Amino acid sequence: MSPPTLPGSIAVLLIAAAALLSAAARGAAPAPIALVIHGGAGVIEPAKMSPAREASYRAGLAAALDAGYDVLERGGTSLDAVTVAVRLMEDDPQFNAGRGAVLNHEGDAELDAAIMDGAGPRAGAVAGIRRVKNPIELARLVMEKSPHVLLIAEGAEDFALEQGMGLVPRGYFRTEAREHELEEARRAEKARAAATPTTQVGVASAASSVGTVGAVALDRAGNLAAATSTGGLTNKHRGRVGDTPLIGAGTYASNESCAVSGTGEGEYFIRQVVAYDVCAEVLYRRLTLAQAVHEVVQVKLRRTGGEGGVIALDRAGNIAMDFNSAGMFRGARDSSGRREIAMYRDIPHH
Amino acid sequence: MYAIAIHGGAGAVPRATLSPERERRYREGLEAALDGGYAVLEAGGTSLDAVATAVRLLEDHPSFNAGHGAALTRDGAAELDAAIMDGRQLRAGAVASVRHVKNPIDLARRVMEKSRHVLLVGAGAEEFALEEHFTLVPNQYFRTAERLEQLESEQHGQRVSDLVPPAPHGTVGAVAYDSRGDLAAATSTGGMTNKRPGRVGDSPIIGAGTYAKNGVCAVSATGHGEYFIRAVAAHHVCAAVEYRGLTLTQAVHELLHHILRGLGGDGGLIAIDREGRIVMDFSTEGMFRGARTAAGHREIAIY
Repeated sequence: MSPPTLPGSIAVLLIAAAALLSAAARGAAPAPIALVIHGGAGVIEPAKMSPAREASYRAGLAAALDAGYDVLERGGTSLDAVTVAVRLMEDDPQFNAGRGAVLNHEGDAELDAAIMDGAGPRAGAVAGIRRVKNPIELARLVMEKSPHVLLIAEGAEDFALEQGMGLVPRGYFRTEAREHELEEARRAEKARAAATPTTQVGVASAASSVGTVGAVALDRAGNLAAATSTGGLTNKHRGRVGDTPLIGAGTYASNESCAVSGTGEGEYFIRQVVAYDVCAEVLYRRLTLAQAVHEVVQVKLRRTGGEGGVIALDRAGNIAMDFNSAGMFRGARDSSGRREIAMYRDIPHH
Repeated sequence: MYAIAIHGGAGAVPRATLSPERERRYREGLEAALDGGYAVLEAGGTSLDAVATAVRLLEDHPSFNAGHGAALTRDGAAELDAAIMDGRQLRAGAVASVRHVKNPIDLARRVMEKSRHVLLVGAGAEEFALEEHFTLVPNQYFRTAERLEQLESEQHGQRVSDLVPPAPHGTVGAVAYDSRGDLAAATSTGGMTNKRPGRVGDSPIIGAGTYAKNGVCAVSATGHGEYFIRAVAAHHVCAAVEYRGLTLTQAVHELLHHILRGLGGDGGLIAIDREGRIVMDFSTEGMFRGARTAAGHREIAIY
């Protein structure tokens, strides 16, 4: 095995060195890499945040941002970078995804996730799953190991088992904080129902939708990827699926245009096909990424009353993070040396 | 001016395999749905009512892959998806993987009108149906001898499309433009024969298989769903019209014959623009389709 690989690796090194030299000779900068993440948009205000909680959110965001960025720095793919960043936030109980996801009306976490590879474009997504520890990994398996894009509920969990993934009991996802939120939401729902009888279901407060997680990345090879994962809305109707796992709504990536991950009131994001619309504005109306994100988030979503935000990235490494809510947990890091973590509106983000 | 177009699925429809008897049944089903939807528009009804009526008639007809007569999963059950969209305020409703709702399009519409949500799936969607006083039916209601035969052939390695068209790509849908200038779209399907339980295609995904936006266009698609999802097909057509100023014909042609073909996916779609102009195009051998306008045009076609 080893004799042929030695000359091979020398050749690779030589080619790499030659490429670097010629890039230097042309004065070209190395290809940019970048990772952008979010941990949800909504009522995130300094007045509602203790210093300890703020520090804890910052630490969670920083861990995901740096771990994902490390993947890119070591020459890894954008697909791996977004998977790593999202998985860490799924495992962090303060975000609304994986462990610590919000609970539906029956008290269960029902999880949705999607991932998209801008190079295919190919995509995988899962919705309404209750026993998979890291939904983003199952979404990736759907993309890589099945002919399908979207699998839901028991059928998706069956596929997880076929792929050798272990399931976890539903109690794994439940935290005390989320149980408390559900109780509050149910109480509010009862009070509202007593005041105005209505047939509307799944009444949930905007505040409880905070915490969807997502990431977009650009790797050395120039490939874009996007990933999003969520528990949805507190007290949601069983079976409710938001924008997160719907390709084009909450998650989209194409090397032709851009990569986008959204967070907010999912129903509005679905109806406006938000993630794809950002990319269509870039590709067809020749808007800059920042202009396109502004148009979709601040003009179109606002017009219909939809609250939330998106993170976006293009192949030149341009980053956009915009939201029409009070705040959005977010972070960005790129090869120009930029590294930031933010959550409120008052911090410049362009 | 008002107009409606419908489809009953796209796929390999070799003339030789379509017996005159079977072709007559398809044509009758298409005619009933087309005229049923058109009658709503003629009576001054909304485009939303017209597409719901046409799709419900196609769901009830056993020849089409939606509602009664839907394709079966590898477990031999019907799992149904549907979506409806109102172009006026971009309101939408959808359901996926329902097994006991006779007319999934009616439940999709109820999701739009009576819930705060857009998409409900599986058992949760059926719970909502019960809360809304829908009567559930046994899964057996959807199963026909023909679909069972197709499932068996598929599981024994024969390509279904060689036997009975157009099982893999069958889906039904409608788009309409009413006298107020409002657009609407609706799509309903049983998905692919022998599909994995829990697989959801493009039909119930707003922007992929179904989309409607007043002033731009309304679209209902049919074909290999996974490709339509990746291409965000229905919204792509509307974005090409709205942002690039393409005609509807150009936008549909580009999507089907360049973008989807480039990805390796085939299928078809029907679309209608803000002046009621209809486009019906496909990259497969055929597509069951029909169109009728207030200007007196009426057609039913397969190839």
